[in-house]
Amino acid sequence: MKNRRIQNKISLSVVMTGVVVGLVLAILLVVLVFFIRLYENSIEQSSVITSEQAARQVVNTVENYTEDMAATMENVTEYIAKPAALREDFFESFFQIRTDVVAVTIYNEEGKLLDCWAGEKAAKETALVNLSYAEIPEGEGLHISKPHVESLLEDYYPWVVTISRTMQGEHGEELRVFMDIRFSNIAAYVDDVGIGQHGYCFIQDTDGDLVYHPQQQLIYAGLKEEAGELQSLADGSYIRSNVIYTVNSLSNCSWRIVAVSYVDELITGRVEGMVRICLALLALMFLTAVFVGSLFSWLFAKPAKRLARAMEAFEKNAENFCFEPVEGTSEVNALSSSFGHMVLRVQQLMEQVRQEEISLRKTELKALQAQINPHFLYNTLDSIAWMCEEERTKEAVEMINALARLFRISISKGHELIPLEKEIEHAKSYLKIQNYRYKNQFTYHFQVEESCLPYYCNKITLQPIIENAIYHGIDRMVDEGHIEIRVWEEEQAIVMTVEDNGVGMTKEQCVDILEREPGDRRGIGIKNVNDRIQIYFGERYGLQITSEPDEGTCVKIRIPKLEEERQ
Amino acid sequence: MSGRKGGRWRQLAPWALGAVFLLACYFVGIRYIIGNLTTREAESGESGRPYVALVAKSTTSAFWRSVFAGANAAGTEYNLDVTVDGPDNEEDYETQNEMIAEAVESGARVIVFSAVDYEANAAAIDAAAAKGVQIVVIDSDVDSEAVSCRISTDNYEAGQMMGQAILESGLEELRIGLVNFDKNSANGQQRERGLRDMLEDVPGARIVDAVNVLSTTEDAKEGTRQMLQEHPDINVIATFNEWTSLGVGYAIEELGLGEETYVVAFDSNVVSVGMLETGEVDALIVQNPFAMGYLGVECAYNLINGLDVEESVVDTATTVITRENMFDEESQKVLFSFD
Repeated sequence: MKNRRIQNKISLSVVMTGVVVGLVLAILLVVLVFFIRLYENSIEQSSVITSEQAARQVVNTVENYTEDMAATMENVTEYIAKPAALREDFFESFFQIRTDVVAVTIYNEEGKLLDCWAGEKAAKETALVNLSYAEIPEGEGLHISKPHVESLLEDYYPWVVTISRTMQGEHGEELRVFMDIRFSNIAAYVDDVGIGQHGYCFIQDTDGDLVYHPQQQLIYAGLKEEAGELQSLADGSYIRSNVIYTVNSLSNCSWRIVAVSYVDELITGRVEGMVRICLALLALMFLTAVFVGSLFSWLFAKPAKRLARAMEAFEKNAENFCFEPVEGTSEVNALSSSFGHMVLRVQQLMEQVRQEEISLRKTELKALQAQINPHFLYNTLDSIAWMCEEERTKEAVEMINALARLFRISISKGHELIPLEKEIEHAKSYLKIQNYRYKNQFTYHFQVEESCLPYYCNKITLQPIIENAIYHGIDRMVDEGHIEIRVWEEEQAIVMTVEDNGVGMTKEQCVDILEREPGDRRGIGIKNVNDRIQIYFGERYGLQITSEPDEGTCVKIRIPKLEEERQ
Repeated sequence: MSGRKGGRWRQLAPWALGAVFLLACYFVGIRYIIGNLTTREAESGESGRPYVALVAKSTTSAFWRSVFAGANAAGTEYNLDVTVDGPDNEEDYETQNEMIAEAVESGARVIVFSAVDYEANAAAIDAAAAKGVQIVVIDSDVDSEAVSCRISTDNYEAGQMMGQAILESGLEELRIGLVNFDKNSANGQQRERGLRDMLEDVPGARIVDAVNVLSTTEDAKEGTRQMLQEHPDINVIATFNEWTSLGVGYAIEELGLGEETYVVAFDSNVVSVGMLETGEVDALIVQNPFAMGYLGVECAYNLINGLDVEESVVDTATTVITRENMFDEESQKVLFSFD
């Protein structure tokens, strides 16, 4: 029952809208997630590639630059070994050409400053500290120091890196040569490297110290920090939250190129845009689904529901059902008109069955009425013959008249309903005949309200009851019997009673009489009377039997007030 | 039959309306989607960057050049059109006022300003603010309610750091001479107050003389020489900006008092660093001018974009540099700008 209620509530349109929206949502979400993943991956991949390419390019350029530094160093050491005049000439032009070289210094094995060339800049007589000099590490290759401030020149403090090497002096002693270089050339190049919108490149050494960063001053001023963990990373690309770091080491020195680009700007914005687009699409799909769903409901589900309701109503009350066609799509219309046809056909059939049944019953009844108890006729005629023999002519005539009246009323031109007056006359004729035959064993009395006489009733209603009263009630009596017949009006009904003072019946017998089919001998039984009244006038009318053994029986007949014959 | 048809049409009307509404939704939705697909490209091609004018006290000193470098770095990073300007000498508030008016005229959204004169610049700043220009103050304050954000060294604290540096000089008796610049400039006075408060209750510390000079090397040198001649017992000199520092340094160099006199100077440039190295100057109070310029323009960017300016007063760091630590790694970064 509960299930059914729920089923009733969930309409087709809701289900359809839900299914469509759900399906679209699911598909869209799956596609979106899949697409975003794919997109993120490909973007990430391509930005990693871009980053790597950029870093590669920077590495090449910076390698060229450091090779150039090494070549310059070679050149410088070559000239340092040459005679003084030649050497000074070389340095004079050297500093004019190589503006990025700040100072060249040589030291002996103990680290004592032997000579210093700085172009036009003057070296300090005594420097407070010497940041350029450091022990030269063992091994081949280019030795490049950390960036530091040039501390050897007067009023000139540029940031430099120092490259160093050892050489053989004139007398075979070891000399240490240091060249301080501003990396303005490489700085300009690194500044111009752009990866994506905000990506950039910087140079650090293997210790993690910055060599050159496009925003070095920002970092030195404490306004920016570069990720600290980078120094521990090997070459390769790393994605940290939304930043791609690509680390590449130079082959000829201890510098590393780090390319920094942002995944964020590339992906997040577009993904957001895509999500917005998908949401918009979803909203549109939802609206469409709701619209189509309601349209579908209007076209199909609603009419279907109405049709179902009509069918239910038809099921409950087929007879009086009046079908109004349901309108909708052609399918619904077809269904509706078929149902309409069906309703009409069923109602026709029902009517036909009813009519057939009624006519069948009527024929049956007529046949029964036509039956004249042959014993009754035979006895009556016997009595008449006997009277004639005894020349009781007058009585014989009375008998014959009574019999004739009896038959005339019985036939009544085939009408079923006759005026009450005739019915009473019929009962009186019958009682007269029987009274003769039973030789006044009983008395009878009619008590009829005059106003009842014109109303109609079924013919042969009283006679079977009287017959029953005589045969079963009075015939077995020793004393004189009495039959009292009353007819009166009661509101909308006519009530007749046949009361005898015969042997009476038990309650079971009373019920039995109304249900038992009449035997052959009996003519029209009491049940028959009851059936006829009920067929004609309905269940409210009919017979009611009350009886007490040894006291008598009273049969009450109730019929409607019918002014004219219906038939 | 026609009546039934009419009823049918009447029933159809809401559906027609619904369909029209749906079509309208489609129209709007598709335009939204197409808009979303195309704006991204349109945004990147935007021109006409917001204009931020930086009006400084001077354009020649190392301090201000560093401020400008910071401002330009921020301008590049935030895609702003930054111009820098300042009068030729550090007393010329009238030229500054003209520059403010010019900046307003040429449509500056924000003026990043450093006041020569705490009071005399106020009217011009108020006038600019009245025209809807937002004001960010760096380095030196101005007497105006219109200032959205102030970015400077905590000058009082810087003065106290000078006092601390004097106390750490190792001298037993401190006979101090002060060489300060223009009395109307707010930051110089704050620094001096910080220093005086620091030394007030120190036994053996006495401020012998205090002079105010024009903010030029020449005037400061002359003022210092006179002060030292009047008070030969002075063994400590404190001075409060880049130019007066140079003036004091030159005076000490000329008088040959490098050994005898402990000089605490303010700000750094190539010359004063040289003096620190050679002994004319013994301690330098170094601000972070690059950060000042950078943060000033960053703040301007935030104001233009309606972002919250986190603090109305931002302190930039101050460092004490002495001969001993001047070539330390950290000191190098503070002292020598990277260009």
